[in-house]
Amino acid sequence: MKWPLPVCVLALLLSGCDNYPRDPEGTLQRVKSERLFRVGLVAPLGAQAMEAEPRELLRRLAERSGASPRLEQGPAEPLLDRLEKGELDLVLGRFEKKSPWSTLVTFAPPLRVEKSGKTAIHLTAAMRNGENAWISLVEREARDVAEQGQ
Amino acid sequence: MTELYPPYVEAGIAKAKRLEYWTIAWIVTVVPLMAVVMGSSQAMKTVWMEDMLGFIPPIVFLVSARLERKRRTEAFPFGFDRANGVSFVIAAFALAAMGVYLLFEAVMTLAMTEHPTVGTRRIFGRDIWMGWPMIAVLLWSTIPSMILGRLKLPIARDINDKVLHTDADMQKADWMTGLAAIGGVIGIGFGLWWADAAAAGLISFGILHDGISGLRSATAELIDGAPRKLEKDQIADEAKLLRDELEKIFPDAEVRLRETGRVICAEVGAYPPKLPLDLNALWPGPPERAWRLARVGFVPPAEHGRGG
Repeated sequence: MKWPLPVCVLALLLSGCDNYPRDPEGTLQRVKSERLFRVGLVAPLGAQAMEAEPRELLRRLAERSGASPRLEQGPAEPLLDRLEKGELDLVLGRFEKKSPWSTLVTFAPPLRVEKSGKTAIHLTAAMRNGENAWISLVEREARDVAEQGQ
Repeated sequence: MTELYPPYVEAGIAKAKRLEYWTIAWIVTVVPLMAVVMGSSQAMKTVWMEDMLGFIPPIVFLVSARLERKRRTEAFPFGFDRANGVSFVIAAFALAAMGVYLLFEAVMTLAMTEHPTVGTRRIFGRDIWMGWPMIAVLLWSTIPSMILGRLKLPIARDINDKVLHTDADMQKADWMTGLAAIGGVIGIGFGLWWADAAAAGLISFGILHDGISGLRSATAELIDGAPRKLEKDQIADEAKLLRDELEKIFPDAEVRLRETGRVICAEVGAYPPKLPLDLNALWPGPPERAWRLARVGFVPPAEHGRGG
């Protein structure tokens, strides 16, 4: 039973690390150093008439990361495809709760849930898989925004 | 309860049953906990699958320990000793198949460079990185298995039970599995996306190894192979000694040994001796293990060679 001790020590050391977890592709680090994050808005979510929740999420993310969002608008598929490739950092839009994209990108907790018949539609943010520091930040802020909206 | 074996073996079987119930109870707590925290970690998924498979050996052991007590019937004139062997084949096959599947998944994850997401969850108002609960559950899944495995191993030797031995072996490998998975999760935290799938690959190798060695040993028993060692697919030393002893007593006869469940049955190609045989006296090893020799059958020499 010698091994739990090193594991516990490691856990304690890691819990003291500010930049843990880290992103394999360095998204959060890049956002902070370039002071910019690239956001795709799924139409009809427009930059001009953006709803309160996505706007609040972007404001909070900008504040936490010290970066500003660069917005672009487009249909869901090309935006999510570019997100998967790392050409975007965030995609905001309405997605089905059981979206087939859920294995290819990571969805944050919903900012708002809308019902369309029996289907639950989530107004939410999608991130590139595995960028755990960036994902953790977006998830945290998305929860706060959703709680605020209730 | 019918007493089939000496008191220390019966006590061992009873203790093994209790340990198997404890094992099932412990897995029942681990499996849902792991499902809750698993996320998209491949290593966690692999450990979870392994824990699900961990149900098989205890259940198989308990079922066969029950069947073994059943009296022989007209339809089953040799009794139910081999129920254990059949269950063992099923368990070992499931294990080997799962090992192949998980190894394939891990290799594919590495080949496709899929980056595992371990996000956060809000628990009591705090956003916790799910890597921490994963590590906690992994520790919970490994420590009891270490203790149970250590307790089962000596009993498996005493009662000569392959299923129990495989089970103990699997649990012995479990803590390494747990450590590998913990390493994988910590690796994800450090941004090493491949650490998780690499850990899963290592774990699945272990599962595959357990499955294949179990399968070899179990099929040996089903096709009337000579009694095997508990820990590996080699002829048991006590079987070799017994064969030598029988060949000494019946010098011109061919002696064949096979294993049914935990006991050995011998077949001697000779006419039966006039005086009744004392099986305990024939046993060449330590007297307390003499119960292992359950039957000695005699086949007239002319017929003995038939059928190979």
